[in-house]
Amino acid sequence: MTSTHVRGRGLAAPPLPHAALAASAALAALILAGLCLGTPSIAPQRIPAALGDPTSLEHVVLWELRAPRLLVALLGGAAIGTAGLLLQEALRNPLAVPELLGVSSGAALAVAVCVVWALPVSAALYPLVGLGGAAAGGVLALAAARAAGTATGVLLVGAAVSTAIQALLLAVMATADRLQYDLLFRYLVGSLSGVMWDQVARTLPWFALAVPLVLLCVPALGLLRLGDEAAASLGARVDLARLGVLAVAALLVGAVTGPCGPIAWVGFVAPLLARWLRPRGEARTWLPWTAVLGAAITLAADLAARLALAPVETPLGAWTALAGVLTGAALMRRSR
Amino acid sequence: MNRALGAFVLVVAVVAAHLATGGATAADVLAVVQGHPTGLDARLLWEYGLPRLLTAALTGSALGVAGYLLQSVLRNPLAAPELTAVNPGAVLGVLGGTVLGAVAADAAAGSLLAALVGGALGGGLSWALAAGGGPGRVVVAGLLGSAVLGGLTTMLLAYQPSRFGNVLRWLAGSVEGRVWDHLTVASWWIPLWLAVAWAASAAVGVLQGGDEHAASLGLPPRTGRAAVLAVALALTAGAAALAGAISFVGLVVPHAARWLARGEPRACVPVAALVGAAALTGADALAQAATHLLAAGHLGHRLGVPTGVVTALLGAAVLVAVVRRERPA
Repeated sequence: MTSTHVRGRGLAAPPLPHAALAASAALAALILAGLCLGTPSIAPQRIPAALGDPTSLEHVVLWELRAPRLLVALLGGAAIGTAGLLLQEALRNPLAVPELLGVSSGAALAVAVCVVWALPVSAALYPLVGLGGAAAGGVLALAAARAAGTATGVLLVGAAVSTAIQALLLAVMATADRLQYDLLFRYLVGSLSGVMWDQVARTLPWFALAVPLVLLCVPALGLLRLGDEAAASLGARVDLARLGVLAVAALLVGAVTGPCGPIAWVGFVAPLLARWLRPRGEARTWLPWTAVLGAAITLAADLAARLALAPVETPLGAWTALAGVLTGAALMRRSR
Repeated sequence: MNRALGAFVLVVAVVAAHLATGGATAADVLAVVQGHPTGLDARLLWEYGLPRLLTAALTGSALGVAGYLLQSVLRNPLAAPELTAVNPGAVLGVLGGTVLGAVAADAAAGSLLAALVGGALGGGLSWALAAGGGPGRVVVAGLLGSAVLGGLTTMLLAYQPSRFGNVLRWLAGSVEGRVWDHLTVASWWIPLWLAVAWAASAAVGVLQGGDEHAASLGLPPRTGRAAVLAVALALTAGAAALAGAISFVGLVVPHAARWLARGEPRACVPVAALVGAAALTGADALAQAATHLLAAGHLGHRLGVPTGVVTALLGAAVLVAVVRRERPA
């Protein structure tokens, strides 16, 4: 396995203060746009007044519909981006992303089974169900890919396991009632439509649990970066460290898949962008960048999903797949 | 000789299994063979059972040979039609054609054309993403291209969500519900390109040996590779127009074919076609059996088990077993 570091050759990375300023400005602009745009669109200066007046229509739109959705987009994007970075660093492969390792499809399959077959599982536990599916899919793919040896081999076997899990997902959906398709579509492609505060409240604990765990991963990533032998010679238990990092990544993916379905390819492009912005960094430096960029990308994609074909909502996952993969491919080509 | 006998027995067994799980009896088959299917069951066999069998066989042989061509000229034993963005492109083409109203969902020629255009789009996209890199890069580009086209497909589905139920079977791949009309184009299109692939066997064998090897024998490697990839594209698009995104047949079958043909390049194409046809027919027999089992429960109006699900599950298991066996010690 090799590790590819994206270094802008033709295009120099901007200096740190500029990059930080640009990223936070972009995020702030996206948050504002997320609150204001849509039907009805609300002028920015009216936001405080609307929030203060619980009887107005604008208050309902802002507080009951747009705010929870915005929050889930931010949290979910940050979580998926972080999960992608953890997977890529732990496996030292820039293409080790949730989509290609059975993690995303495992989570989606587990949740879809609960929904379609009406298993007696409370909706509050869907993140846990998703986590179980994500872990099972990831373990299955990695166990199968262990034997493949080369980085391309791991990738292809992982993709094969993902495809098989996707096929199972489609089979489960084929047994579904036609009325359930709308709901199920979300678990196939990812969507934030209809996210309310109670879903936010259900998933918030999982994100809160994930933050300290991700911080715990950082030293482990630093060790894994040295390569297996060097890390082992320093007394690190490499397999255990890698397993722990992968488990945290599965937790993040599972927590996101519960409310939104798989948000495709953000875990691929956010770490790549972070590496491009901070070419001389390491996992510790990339982590906050990846989280912020993942949140920004997801928010932008959700805006596009809401507005592009309004009043019809397009799936968020389709936008992230289109934009994410093309951007990522361009960045990877630059690194060549 | 033994292998030829084995292949014959396999074909007979698979065809019999497919007909039997489809609910046909020996008497129905006899009536159809004699040319006067009159009873209800014999009519069903003629109108639904046989076209389905033929669809499975044609699709399987096209995918098996396309996979063999891709694995040979890309020199990657894990390359496959579904991993090179051609297959998702073809599905997108069919879906786009029907959603935008350019082709009727049932028009055989129209959907084949739409699948071809989409497959060419997918192939072109991975070509652009790979941009002259080595075979490893082609694989990565194919994966990424598949993701982009999958995104476009879901975009179209969101535009007309009511089509989701119909499209589900295309996404998973299914040969159910095909009648003779669907086969009018594919019945000459796929055999034609199978013959072209067979005729090009020698060139494929040379390209497999490496670019320098090919150049030293007077075969320009880039042109040759492009031509072989074009044949694979035509076969994949034909298969996708018939049955949607059937996965893993194109990945696993070539391995079996190379083993059966003992690496003899001339024999590989026909063997891959035969094994592919047998594999998909067998998988469809399993899908029919599973559907019957489920229908005995309370499935009611719901859809049956798509063939693509069977191939994906079996194929993934076979692939993992193969990779494990070939692991360098």
